[in-house]
Amino acid sequence: MATTKTRGSDRPQAEVTPSPDERRHILYLLKLCRYFDERVDTLYRQGKLPGAIYSGRGQEGTHVGVVLPLGPEDSLFPTHRDLSAQLAKGLDLKRVMAQYWGRIDGYTRGRDGNSHIGDWFGSKTWTVMSHLPIAYPVACGAALAYQRRGEPHVALAICGDGATSNGRWHEALNWSAVGRLPVVWVVNNNQYAYSTPNPLEFAVPTIAERAAAYGMPGVRVDGSDVLEVEAAAREAVDRARAGEGPTLIESVSLRWMGHAGHDPAKYVPKELLEEFKEHKDPVKNFERRLLEDGTVSEDDVKEIQARIEREFDEGYEYAQASPFPEPGDHAKGLWVEDGYWTSEPGRGGPTEYS
Amino acid sequence: MTAPQAPTEAGAAGHGAEPRGKRTEDGQATYLIAIAEGLWEEMERDERVFMLGEDIGVYGGAFKVTEGFLDRFGAERVMDTPIAEETIVGVAIGSAMEGLRPVAEFQYSDFMTSGFDEISTALARVHYRSGVPLPVVLRGPSGGMVRASSFHSVNPEPWFSYAGGIKVICPAFPSDAKGLIKSAVRDDNPCMFLEHKWIYRRIREQVPEDPDFLVPISSADVKREGDDVSIVTYGAMVHRALEAAQMLEEKGVSAEVVDLRTVYPMDEETVLRSIEKTSRALVLTESYRFVGIGAEVAATIAEKAFQHLDAPVVRLAPPNVPVPFSPPLEDAFLPSVDDIIAQVDQLSAW
Repeated sequence: MATTKTRGSDRPQAEVTPSPDERRHILYLLKLCRYFDERVDTLYRQGKLPGAIYSGRGQEGTHVGVVLPLGPEDSLFPTHRDLSAQLAKGLDLKRVMAQYWGRIDGYTRGRDGNSHIGDWFGSKTWTVMSHLPIAYPVACGAALAYQRRGEPHVALAICGDGATSNGRWHEALNWSAVGRLPVVWVVNNNQYAYSTPNPLEFAVPTIAERAAAYGMPGVRVDGSDVLEVEAAAREAVDRARAGEGPTLIESVSLRWMGHAGHDPAKYVPKELLEEFKEHKDPVKNFERRLLEDGTVSEDDVKEIQARIEREFDEGYEYAQASPFPEPGDHAKGLWVEDGYWTSEPGRGGPTEYS
Repeated sequence: MTAPQAPTEAGAAGHGAEPRGKRTEDGQATYLIAIAEGLWEEMERDERVFMLGEDIGVYGGAFKVTEGFLDRFGAERVMDTPIAEETIVGVAIGSAMEGLRPVAEFQYSDFMTSGFDEISTALARVHYRSGVPLPVVLRGPSGGMVRASSFHSVNPEPWFSYAGGIKVICPAFPSDAKGLIKSAVRDDNPCMFLEHKWIYRRIREQVPEDPDFLVPISSADVKREGDDVSIVTYGAMVHRALEAAQMLEEKGVSAEVVDLRTVYPMDEETVLRSIEKTSRALVLTESYRFVGIGAEVAATIAEKAFQHLDAPVVRLAPPNVPVPFSPPLEDAFLPSVDDIIAQVDQLSAW
């Protein structure tokens, strides 16, 4: 049970290969996430976006790959780095952008900004908090509910390499193994926790091998290969659904941008960054693969790109047209009984509480 | 985590499985039994309610509040957990997001700080930012007066009242405790329920048996009517205040005792109404003086009832130091009945 393995290119493709339509959709998601990240970065640098930005660029293979096996009833517990995972889970770009601009139609109704976002009532995603890995224990609780009710759902949580140093990471892994909970633990190892590299965070060669200490399988995958990530995630999700307990997935990538928009990340060696951009670009690599195997044509790619740009522009317009929250409402919505979150169905909250 | 008190503090109360079977022959229940009754009734009423915590199942909890629950409700609903407080809170949050109604026990409320981030950052802020209701109860024994020293005597209510988004309940009487724990379990918001361990087996009274008996959260109660001075307090200090009021009466001073019952959100109206009547306020707490609950009560009175006051608002509370062990030290640290009388005497001199 407690084995650590590395998924390599020797994996039989037939096992998990998504259909051509699914592959085209994966390409769309990857390119959407990349484009959103780049455009938002530009708007931030132009001073047109309030608050902060946390780029997930270079890690789209992880973000999209781990979400693909999830169904609508499965829950996702991401971090601020993982907006791409939330987009893949189904967040509406319009409302995401309303969130970025602090508008009432954002998922948090302006109570939070940027990728501190979530859509529990729709896409089943946790509204991101900064204290990592704060949602790891919470994922255990969601999984406990599925287990108790005999539902075939899975909770999937993501954190970065830095968060594995925090006590909660260990508490949650241990608890999930003890309780045989239907959870998938994903560590997006982008090699830097803000400026701190892996060797200053942990002394084991890989994060995946820690799984053995908790009594669960651990697997390390190449985050630049979305299908490799997807295959590992699918296996883990299937295990969880079958009642066989949690799995730890370490997906290795590199954080291309700084911790946040203000950080030029000069501490990342240029050669390393160049290597990843040249050879480990999850978006470019997948696009090339689909072009080479004939799944898409150059025209198809152009069409996908045009669709993404159109959707972004529509989202931007929607966000600018969405009103700001009423300033006087700043203290509302703390307690369920004040009715704030059910006052305007469709604006972030539930239509009614069950 | 051993219970450091004499056997009467932590020993088994047991006379059969159901808490109600543990009442005295004339139907009185201790504070501990009343809480157990409330939990038992809510577990019976609503299958979504479940309990989790350290040693609550086979052992029945450090103070035996959940004794007999495992046999009645099973291990799925009376869940022994690893010693992992952050994850106890996280599991409560996640299961509540999925529609369950968790009640998490802490062996001592001192150990709530081992889960501080999940409480103050996650539990308190989920609903405001997402609209997701969190019907979570965190409960545990708080307070001193039982020679339990620094790590088994804390009054954590100021820390978690400050978090915003958590209702903090500190009952003083068995009936209030039962009615409030039931209200907390039924509430759709996070509630922290602090059970004063000195009261557990010392205070008993006739407790309502109606399974729908509830005491509303955020409602204070006047435990003794008086005309000359208001003693505003909560928790075990209510009992000291009542003892002092009795002695003051013999001296011809009529003291009113206001029991906050819930410290956050606070029932200001009942407090202010009392001050309007008596014109003098002694704010008595077992939580620290600096940034303690009493500071908020005193400030509220000063802001909103200034025109009614005949004397400055006085706070009586321990200094912000760890709770000491040695009996003379702890006695000096805590507000005593004599301290209360002395403060009332000073107030009466105005």
